[in-house]
Amino acid sequence: MSRRGLWIGLSLAAVTAVLLFVLAKGFGRDPHEVPFQMRGKPAPDFTLKRLDTGAPVTLSDLKGKPLVLNFWASWCMPCKAEHPVIAWGAKRFGQDVQFYGVVFEDTAENARGFAGNPDPSFPQLYDDHSRMAVDYGVTGVPETYFIDAQGIIRDKVAAPVDPRLLAEKIAALRQPGPVSEVVR
Amino acid sequence: MTALVLGLVLSAYAPQQAGSALLDPPREARVQALGKEIRCPMCQGLSIADSGSSAARAQMDKVRELVAAGKTDQEIRDFFTSRYGEWALLDPPASGMNLLVWALPLALLIVGGFAIARTMRRPAPASAAPEPTEDRPTAEDPYLEAVRAEMRR
Repeated sequence: MSRRGLWIGLSLAAVTAVLLFVLAKGFGRDPHEVPFQMRGKPAPDFTLKRLDTGAPVTLSDLKGKPLVLNFWASWCMPCKAEHPVIAWGAKRFGQDVQFYGVVFEDTAENARGFAGNPDPSFPQLYDDHSRMAVDYGVTGVPETYFIDAQGIIRDKVAAPVDPRLLAEKIAALRQPGPVSEVVR
Repeated sequence: MTALVLGLVLSAYAPQQAGSALLDPPREARVQALGKEIRCPMCQGLSIADSGSSAARAQMDKVRELVAAGKTDQEIRDFFTSRYGEWALLDPPASGMNLLVWALPLALLIVGGFAIARTMRRPAPASAAPEPTEDRPTAEDPYLEAVRAEMRR
């Protein structure tokens, strides 16, 4: 093979290899997976009303203690299955971690009647017109955010959590540095 | 049973909430144009302006709020990409890794075209030239001469 032919062959091989790499990278991920970009960023501030008392709650009120925010809706079937797990977490870890539910794209009336009634072990906040959910980059429900005592979003689970996963995430919330994301 | 099915069907949808009030026509046109650029997170390849989902409506409300607050188009795009990455843009910019998707097929076409042109320009080897065969008609072929004479008549 001539020197020129060798160069053309090598160029073709290089371009094909890079093209294959790009295609493999593209096809290797779930197209429905929405990237989570809020990890490590300060949690956007919010002022929401409690579903039970109507009292306003702001993020700044909650700083100083790790926070678990669970977005849910009464029309979401997986949320119904997940709700007792979050309630269990609130009872189990409530001494040093705060748990709040956030009602997503729902009416306050429907939310109050959710699964008989939301579990009283953790308060529920009503996100009117999902303004806070958009600020947090919520892509659907259920989604659970883990925010450290300094108000930094450390992780989120975009799927129903089970007790083991919840315990792992809370343990990681107490450690420095981000933990891995679990996607829907 | 019917009640159960109805309950399952009716409870599977988010109650529709009204969107925020429209802005004046020029700013609302900006809202709609930006909404066409932003991908709905709960839909399949639809923009938030085209989707009827409640999450898309909430995002359109956010676009409207940011336009009303005097944010530029780029600042509004940045708001969504800071939450969902470039995934949020239906027409991501041709830069970084995205540039490879545009440049590689072109590079492949150029290199391939060059290789083909080079192969076609190369002179055929002498041994590959067709040898005259014995049954090929020549100027002296009596049969060919007879046919030509017949055609001339």
